[in-house]
Amino acid sequence: MNRRPACEEAETAATAIATGSPLVQIGLPTGTRSTGFEASRRDVLSLMGFSLGALGLGSGCRAPVQHAVPLPAASTEMVPGVPNLYATTCGACSASCGLVVKQRDGRPIKIEGNDASPLTRGGTCAAGQASVLSLYDDARLRGPVWLGNPVSWEEIDRHIKTMLNAGSGDPRAVVLLSQTITSPSALAVLNDFRVAFPSFRHVVYDPMSLAALREANRLAHGAAVVPHFRFDRARVVVGLEADFLGTWLAPVEFARQWSRRRTADGERAFHVQCESGMSVTGSNADLRLAIAPSELGPFAVALLAAVARRVSDDGLAGLRGAGLAPDAPHAAAIDRIADALARHRGEALVVTGSNDVATQLVVAKLNALLGGVGKTVDLEQPSLQRQGDDAQVADLIQQMNRGAVRALIVWGANPVYDHPDGVAFTAALKKVPLTISLADRRDETGAHVRALCPDHHFLESWGDAEPVRGQFSLRQPLIAPLHDTRSGVESLLVWAGRPTDHRTRLRDFWQRELHPRALGAGPFEGFWERSLERGVVEMPQPAVAVHAFAGDWQGAVRDIVTRGGRPPTEAYELALQETVGARDGRHANNPWLQELPDPITRLTWGNVACIAPATAAAQGITTGDVVTLTTEVGKLELPAFVQPGQERRTISVAIGYGRWAAGKAGDGVGGNVFPLVRVENGLRRASAPVTLSKTGRRARLAPAQTHFSMEGRDIVQTMALGQDKHEAEHEHEHEALPNLWRERLHGAHAWGMSIDLDACTGCSACVVACQAENNVPVVGAEQVRKSRIMHWMRIDRYLEGDGEDVISHHQPMMCQHCQHAPCETVCPVLATTTSSEGINQQVYNRCIGTRYCANNCPYKVRRFNWHNFTANDDFPFNMTSPLGRLVLNPDVTVRSRGVMEKCNLCVQRIQLAKNQALLQRRPMADGDVATACQQACPTGAIVFGDLADAQSRVSKLLAGRRAYRVLEDLGTRPNVGYLKKITSKETT
Amino acid sequence: MKVRVIVIGFAALGAGGGLLARGATRIGVHQGYAPEQPIAFPHKIHAGDNQIPCLYCHSGARTSRHAGIPSASVCMNCHGLIEKQTTEIQRLKEAVQQGRPIVWNKVHNLPDFVYFNHSQHVISGVACQRCHGAVEHMDRIEQAAPLTMGWCLGCHRSEAHVPTSTFARVAKNVRDRPTPFAGEDCTSCHY
Repeated sequence: MNRRPACEEAETAATAIATGSPLVQIGLPTGTRSTGFEASRRDVLSLMGFSLGALGLGSGCRAPVQHAVPLPAASTEMVPGVPNLYATTCGACSASCGLVVKQRDGRPIKIEGNDASPLTRGGTCAAGQASVLSLYDDARLRGPVWLGNPVSWEEIDRHIKTMLNAGSGDPRAVVLLSQTITSPSALAVLNDFRVAFPSFRHVVYDPMSLAALREANRLAHGAAVVPHFRFDRARVVVGLEADFLGTWLAPVEFARQWSRRRTADGERAFHVQCESGMSVTGSNADLRLAIAPSELGPFAVALLAAVARRVSDDGLAGLRGAGLAPDAPHAAAIDRIADALARHRGEALVVTGSNDVATQLVVAKLNALLGGVGKTVDLEQPSLQRQGDDAQVADLIQQMNRGAVRALIVWGANPVYDHPDGVAFTAALKKVPLTISLADRRDETGAHVRALCPDHHFLESWGDAEPVRGQFSLRQPLIAPLHDTRSGVESLLVWAGRPTDHRTRLRDFWQRELHPRALGAGPFEGFWERSLERGVVEMPQPAVAVHAFAGDWQGAVRDIVTRGGRPPTEAYELALQETVGARDGRHANNPWLQELPDPITRLTWGNVACIAPATAAAQGITTGDVVTLTTEVGKLELPAFVQPGQERRTISVAIGYGRWAAGKAGDGVGGNVFPLVRVENGLRRASAPVTLSKTGRRARLAPAQTHFSMEGRDIVQTMALGQDKHEAEHEHEHEALPNLWRERLHGAHAWGMSIDLDACTGCSACVVACQAENNVPVVGAEQVRKSRIMHWMRIDRYLEGDGEDVISHHQPMMCQHCQHAPCETVCPVLATTTSSEGINQQVYNRCIGTRYCANNCPYKVRRFNWHNFTANDDFPFNMTSPLGRLVLNPDVTVRSRGVMEKCNLCVQRIQLAKNQALLQRRPMADGDVATACQQACPTGAIVFGDLADAQSRVSKLLAGRRAYRVLEDLGTRPNVGYLKKITSKETT
Repeated sequence: MKVRVIVIGFAALGAGGGLLARGATRIGVHQGYAPEQPIAFPHKIHAGDNQIPCLYCHSGARTSRHAGIPSASVCMNCHGLIEKQTTEIQRLKEAVQQGRPIVWNKVHNLPDFVYFNHSQHVISGVACQRCHGAVEHMDRIEQAAPLTMGWCLGCHRSEAHVPTSTFARVAKNVRDRPTPFAGEDCTSCHY
């Protein structure tokens, strides 16, 4: 029921009629009785019609009174209507990317990347873009909770300190179980904690662990580090089950690095990806092989052997006989890959996400053999981003069970949900006298602890980060804490008996520890202010002591060969995948991420069991059939999804779903696959043997795209490497179609956009950025099923070929801003027209909802508001919540029901830039305007600019040989152009 | 007789229809709206007699889309020193002492689907009185202009082609181009 502000008079009349009192303030039509309410129904209706009509027209409807409430004291910093930008650090995952966040009227509303960051250069990811919404999440705790009761901080601190200090002679451990802490100042605080509690231990926990990688590097090079991988220094990149462009380790940085080497000329990097399930990275590789998780080890060994034969004099004696048989399925491919690697020694990089030490050791040997250490694999200034130690976590559970832990603080981790032994962990929690969770909500783990001491959201928090050694960034709050939460660092300091506020502590740390090492930084005050403003600081740190490769790779090879590949008796393997929307599940209550269509499956609101087409056909399974996956340790029912490119006998399932205490949006969405794999030899597995059975039931999926074929149309065009140089001239001159329309008056600009299909990885950061910038509503799974998803920007996925050799294309598609727009000619009220500057403009207040424009649009980019998403309880997402509404962009109209909307090239940003140019007394320059999608993209695939200016970047790009328009034959003349995707099957 | 009835009938219908149309098109137009304010602030004394520039108090108009109503601290810049005391000034001082923000009744309201940016107009040299009327003669602020789209377009069509004096210095290349630039496009104000 929608309540619009009503005319006061009309409301009075309606109430009067409803209650039956006679209307006396107006004359009654003749023929009706003037007293009592014995009039016939017909009389009542005519009475209503006449009186309401007379009232409405006679006195005129009044509008509600609006107020303006200025701050009691004026601020020069906060001018209503003028956004402030502050640099901070993202906390959506441990990659800790630098951000610049836009703040309006004291609240952050849009997250953007920090161009000054040498790592990310301004890119962001989908989860990072969406994390501004989690600040305004209704599911967040409003304050501390002790044994289920809300209490004050004083009270909970009293309880906690009493229990902590009571055990001063107690040998039992005080444990902090946390996600990877990349903050050097927070790590220093842990030292304070250790001083206060000598039995303190810090256990780092990552749901998708890289513990084997660290262990392998310890064995090989003497330091248990995650290397800082340099994809930008590699001519040949081989990824073995590592989704480095999507979710692995530092995807924003890696995407930027990777795209730097993917030039259109002969020096282009060659990318091979070997994986079991189709991932974002695999869909962008030049060569993709489908291999099962159990085949990963033998594959790595075979690759090592093949490379050794080419680069080493003796072919590495220990490898004799360890390669794959010549007729093995991937032997030819391995030879090809080894050729490429050997040809580019020193410029090659092999990465694997495997959590098996032997496999990681083999890959480390491979990188050493190829001369990558120190070049593409930087061990001396390593990454500090995933430091989880699986063995310690397994140990911890045992210790908790034995009663050897007297206090457990859980910070940024949710093991009850995402640990394979979640049930065991829950039971073990009961044996710990004092359990505290610093999570922002009463999550799965928080339901079993004594004390909930909610930490701030990262946008409310001070802090710092060192994602890669020597690369520092600062975090500053963009809003005063919304609720009675307290910084985790402050909580620890209070309990350690040294209460200090976080900012002071942070500043002191930087002054004492970091500033002295900042060369040429000058006095601390200036250094501090500059660092806060800029957000990122490079301060070289002493190199980690590593030695040349000295690991027992022969032992590793023997180990892998002995284990063999897939056991012949097992039919299937289950592989866990981290997807760009769900990540590890911590953002499950974020509706923007739930509704984000997965770039590979194009599904929303849930996960599926991805099965290869051949396997599905053999089993008689079609997409939507509910299947049961049973492993040694768990069982899960999920809808099946036929996924081209999926390895034949592997079933991939996305993690991060199936939560039950995330909040209203995330609870019960999808299935939790974490309990189906287990910890072996102290390491978390990401795969397990599985049996598959049909339940006979069907489930309804919520796909954003149901058709994946281009049907012979040149929607995504590709070009072979080097072809652009040889392309004949005449091919580019299209026959000019006759023009039926009179030329329009053109203004000073012609806004257009270029999208580089080669640089686009499909990461979908642009989709979420557009949703955040333009107040695009979330519609929920039911509406998505009716094809009513509201995203202005979508990333279409097209498939070429089938089976395991399928090629995947990602294409960002939004309003093409056609100069001869089919939508404009059919609007009966001219609610959509082309502006003098080339933008196809949608005027919301004029639209009457005919929807003919959406019908006529060949690109199907128009979105209709079927509901009033701001006032309809069927859509309990951010727009119906007073807190959630705080994220809305005040510069963009919030559309009502019955109105069409679509991409408008961020015209609010264009207008703002024009205004700023005006204020600064200068003409607009190329680069003044960055649309939301352009700004979010980590690879710089989207370029926006003025096509009327021949010197602008976009003009030059669209004048190049790679440029084309989608569905050009229709004569729509779009201002949005695409650059052909480059295919390169060989490395030069 | 019959003819007379018919003629009068048509005339009445015409008049009624005209009134209906006028009423219907004036829905949402609040020209003449002059609400009572929590503090009866007289622009006549401040902007008129004392000639305080508009932008002194409504400084937002220079840089922001909102002109804004000044914070009480701006009032206290002068009234902290001036001895004159009236009931209204008393109300102001009480609000300041209690730290209570003053809830003004906004007079000029545009619908949510309209984007109006004050700074663009101010920097282009449009006088405040052009749209807000002779504020310096107003005791109680009254909406002087209809603020309808047609009324805005009237100025945009006639004057916006010609660069104003300030802008002319800014963008020579724009002046040299005989093209419309200042917001006849729908997306100049509706997005």
